[in-house]
Amino acid sequence: MTYWPWWAGAVGLALVTIAFTLATDRTLGVSGAWERVLHWREERNRERVEARFTDDRALADLLAAATAEEFGTRHPAPGTPGADLPVGPPVEEAPRAPKRPAPVVTQAALLVSILVGGWLAAVVSGQFELRLDMGAAFSEIVTDNPVTMVLALFAGGIMVGFGTRLAGGCSSGHGLSGCGRLNPVSLLATAVFFGTAVVVSFLLWKVI
Amino acid sequence: MRTRGALLAANIVGGLALGFTVSRIGFGDYGELNRMFTFQDLRMFLAFAGAVAIIAVAFALLRVRRNPGRIHAGVVPGAVLFGTGWAISGGCPAIPIIQVGAGYLPALVTIAGIALGVWLCRWTNGRFLRLDRGSCGV
Repeated sequence: MTYWPWWAGAVGLALVTIAFTLATDRTLGVSGAWERVLHWREERNRERVEARFTDDRALADLLAAATAEEFGTRHPAPGTPGADLPVGPPVEEAPRAPKRPAPVVTQAALLVSILVGGWLAAVVSGQFELRLDMGAAFSEIVTDNPVTMVLALFAGGIMVGFGTRLAGGCSSGHGLSGCGRLNPVSLLATAVFFGTAVVVSFLLWKVI
Repeated sequence: MRTRGALLAANIVGGLALGFTVSRIGFGDYGELNRMFTFQDLRMFLAFAGAVAIIAVAFALLRVRRNPGRIHAGVVPGAVLFGTGWAISGGCPAIPIIQVGAGYLPALVTIAGIALGVWLCRWTNGRFLRLDRGSCGV
């Protein structure tokens, strides 16, 4: 099997991550997409509430503008009642709200597109083949028993799902985007998950 | 502010490109993955590390803002779990998807496991762990 040389892979992964970040102004993160798509009901409700909240804020802004137009924004002239009241310090601008996540439907589209992209890659390279095993290396290193294979994949999957969400990201969110931003939390997470995978892979290869 | 349609288009194009690239690097191939993690073959490791280096330079030049992510209690245990699961199943959250795309039907089991794990994380956190922002999608 022939795969891309390392530099082509590096350029490809970097281009995808950089273009996605610039186009969406958001972090490319696959485990986060899983998280939100699997909790789509709650996420849809949250989106609805937030949409209403923006409407309310827009209404308040409009009312404020209309009031200012009607009555002016100037302070009352000296002598008028209320003019001598101490004026408080100017209200500080509210801290910027955290960026809203992309709509949940776009994250579902991301997952489906990854499937189509993977399928295209397999077809183009002549590697597409419907099969009931995980390849010769998996049979050799992990197990060649189909029942054990299913159990190992399921257990491993649970660890991946639980672990990535507990850590707040996976190889795309922490690994590519987070390390690319030099976020301390992402550098730590990437070092730990990569180091653990190295240890477990050696155990599987040499010991078990 | 990005419109919904623009975000949708970017996610579709990004997903296609990501799935294609990750698959053509060989991340869906368990043998390649094990050889990377045991340092028998540094090709995929260099692809990943090289990508991080290019991204870091590009983000610095483009002044992409950092995320104010804190190191919270879930980072280390979560990453240990993730690394273990990745080494065993060969799947980070995107890989089983491209494996299914390449015809490896058992990867559907990995996807089911990931779905259960993601769901369990939020459930357990709400009930028992009570970690704050950054963990389990809170």
